[in-house]
Amino acid sequence: MEKIQISKGLKIKLAGMADTSLTRITPQNTVAVSALDITHIRPKLLVKERQPVKTGTPLFCDKRDQSIQYVSPATGTIKKIIFGQRRRLLEVVIEFDPQDSFIAFESFSRSDIDLMQKEQLIAHLKKGGLWQCFRQFPSKDHADSDHHPPLIIVSLNGNDIFSPYPEILLDNQHDIFEFGLEILKKFTPRIVVQVNESHYEKLGPIQKWITHTVPDMFPSWDPGVVLYHLKQSADDNLSWCISLDHLMMISKFMSTGQYPVEKVITLKKSGSNNAHILTRQGVSIKTIDPMIDSNHMITTGLFNGRILSQNDHLGFFENTIHMMPSSQSELMFGFIRPGIQSHSVSNTFLSSLRDIDFQLDASLHGEERACINCGYCESICPNDIMPHFLMKALASDNIEEALQLGLLDCCRCGLCSYTCPSKIELTTIFSNAIDTYYKDKA
Amino acid sequence: MNPLKKLFDQLESHFTGSGKFKALEPLFDATKTLFFFPSPKTTTIPFIRDHLDLKRYMSFVILALFPVLLFGIYNTGYQSGLAQGECFGLIDSFLVGASYVLPIIIVSYAVGFLWEIIFAVIRKHKISEGFLVTGLLFPLTLPPTIPLWQVAIGISFGVVIGKEVFGGTGRNILNPALTARAFLFFSYPVSMSGDIWVAVHKTIDGFTGATALSITGSSGNNIITTLSEAGFDLPHLFWGIIPGSIGETSAICCLLGATFLMITGIASYRIIMGGILGLVVTSVLFYVVSDNVSTWSYAGPFYHLCAGGFLFGISFMATDPVTAPGTNPARWFYGFSIGFFTIIIRVVNPAFVEGVMLAILFMNIFSPLLDHIIIQYKLSKRIPNV
Repeated sequence: MEKIQISKGLKIKLAGMADTSLTRITPQNTVAVSALDITHIRPKLLVKERQPVKTGTPLFCDKRDQSIQYVSPATGTIKKIIFGQRRRLLEVVIEFDPQDSFIAFESFSRSDIDLMQKEQLIAHLKKGGLWQCFRQFPSKDHADSDHHPPLIIVSLNGNDIFSPYPEILLDNQHDIFEFGLEILKKFTPRIVVQVNESHYEKLGPIQKWITHTVPDMFPSWDPGVVLYHLKQSADDNLSWCISLDHLMMISKFMSTGQYPVEKVITLKKSGSNNAHILTRQGVSIKTIDPMIDSNHMITTGLFNGRILSQNDHLGFFENTIHMMPSSQSELMFGFIRPGIQSHSVSNTFLSSLRDIDFQLDASLHGEERACINCGYCESICPNDIMPHFLMKALASDNIEEALQLGLLDCCRCGLCSYTCPSKIELTTIFSNAIDTYYKDKA
Repeated sequence: MNPLKKLFDQLESHFTGSGKFKALEPLFDATKTLFFFPSPKTTTIPFIRDHLDLKRYMSFVILALFPVLLFGIYNTGYQSGLAQGECFGLIDSFLVGASYVLPIIIVSYAVGFLWEIIFAVIRKHKISEGFLVTGLLFPLTLPPTIPLWQVAIGISFGVVIGKEVFGGTGRNILNPALTARAFLFFSYPVSMSGDIWVAVHKTIDGFTGATALSITGSSGNNIITTLSEAGFDLPHLFWGIIPGSIGETSAICCLLGATFLMITGIASYRIIMGGILGLVVTSVLFYVVSDNVSTWSYAGPFYHLCAGGFLFGISFMATDPVTAPGTNPARWFYGFSIGFFTIIIRVVNPAFVEGVMLAILFMNIFSPLLDHIIIQYKLSKRIPNV
């Protein structure tokens, strides 16, 4: 086990961390497969409304590689296919029966895996709707199955501070985890299993599989940050990553031959006890919290993710829901208040003298201004990017310079935007630039 | 509901959309947001944001300037009293000082904001908070005797040529307040040098309003003895009861402000520390190699640190993030060079008594180059990802 030294990031104590209890919420009426959290996808529908589906029936595939399928997490009928502007697919909603009838896939034992061809494994995962669990750097698109990844990073912590704890996900499922790692070995000999230090202590027998630990500082556990600190040559840039819950899904799928429908999520809501929730893939927000009102902003992460409405469903890549109060406040003389509760990376608020758990809200706390070159973004970026210079390179359309400055090393953690006193949307600028570059290159 | 908020809400329709005073929207917005801090909902990642914004950032510089400003007002009045052969008390000094200093500050803010509003209206953007600082820094670098029309011309030059022609806040290459001062310094040398440092209507005989830096020991006298005889011993220089520009005289007040800015993280400690280091190292070098004891080359680091406007410049002018380098190693070098050039100009160049202003402006020009070198070095260490 090796410690990765990461010096920059955000050390923050947040109020309302989830405890280790696990409650079960069974979805009512509908579940859905969302296309909005799948980056780069160009979906092609494979089903029609009112068509009956089984658990594991492909609902849509990716036009760029039609063998990559997204399957139904429940048995029932297609209730509605929701399109957005320019007929962009948003969600496929399924009205489901409590009784699952699974599409039967082949199941494998550990010795089968050893004998299995890699191509056979890939085809099997694609058919089962799980190949997309592997994401490939730097664009974080689904992994290219013809590519031999130099390393695969398994992240035990999720993308967010409030993501489900690995000890909950792994509770009594050590065998499944080990089986998952065996499957990964078919792709590359170099597998990095990383977790942050505070959770490492709680992993018990799993500890022997951990190859790296990272500091308890957002976003050290992000696979992009880990890759940046581990990579030794430019070849490593095309590594893959996979999150723990997806690895467990693959493992369960391979061993049982059924599409795994369960999912552990966390719900972060101010002023309530936050527990882990065991539910089904594609659960609706209403099911998780029927009482939620419109004064809250619902997102799937604090620093990244997307904004959800009450009627939306949780996506395949999302496992935490934040409900933050977001009233548009206009405090009198707000710019010079002492701020005993206001979190800031700088020491300009009295809160920096206190050791408290911060309560955050979805508000800009200021207005956008020109960049003043203060360098706060550089001093927090975990991947040593100089966001202020990168932003200026992109603003002048100089993509070559932007790439040199490390545009593709950006892990979209959101800290530069978080800390910018001029409230410049740095992360969005970089994220869009990476996506555009990836699209142009393809 | 707050009555003031109500008033703003009522007035809003006149300044926005198809209102009568649509052109003045930036002015309305600036006034409104001064009272009511805007905090719109986030619409994109990340959904939470740091509480620090540019309004607070700039107000903290103003806060840090308060000791300097208050002492400047007091000292202007006190020096004025001395020149008349009287010793004013605290209140008298303040009142007399305020009668000289406040008009300068008011003119600076009024004229400067006028330009800011004109440019904001033409360019249809919001008024940036950067001018809050410029408008106060500039008067503090002036002698209290400066004619007000020169203040107006100076700040106009600083704002328009020093900042707005480049595109406004964040895009200027030179510190606007120092650009304004340099403009006055070279255009109206009579108002900016010589015996102009004490504001008074009629002086007692034999009084000269010179500054410490303009003094040299005559015929082999040690510079430090000469300074002490002229009333410029180290405690006076440190506390600042001496003639000089309004804000620059007190070393302790500048240090207070600098410490506040460094602790809160508003100013880069690298620039301030680097600057002090550069000044100390260079002045010690001159002290060691100099054989002329009667000039400032023999004054040593403490006198150089406390005399003149170095501490004011390095704390408030050099730390302007827009015109300073944006990378940390470059900031050290930038600060160090300012200290170095300040001493070089003070000691070696007979044309200028004080060198801080020129040193900072000179290094402003070089900060993009310093950044470029540091960035190229950092990129050479980076594993390419293209």
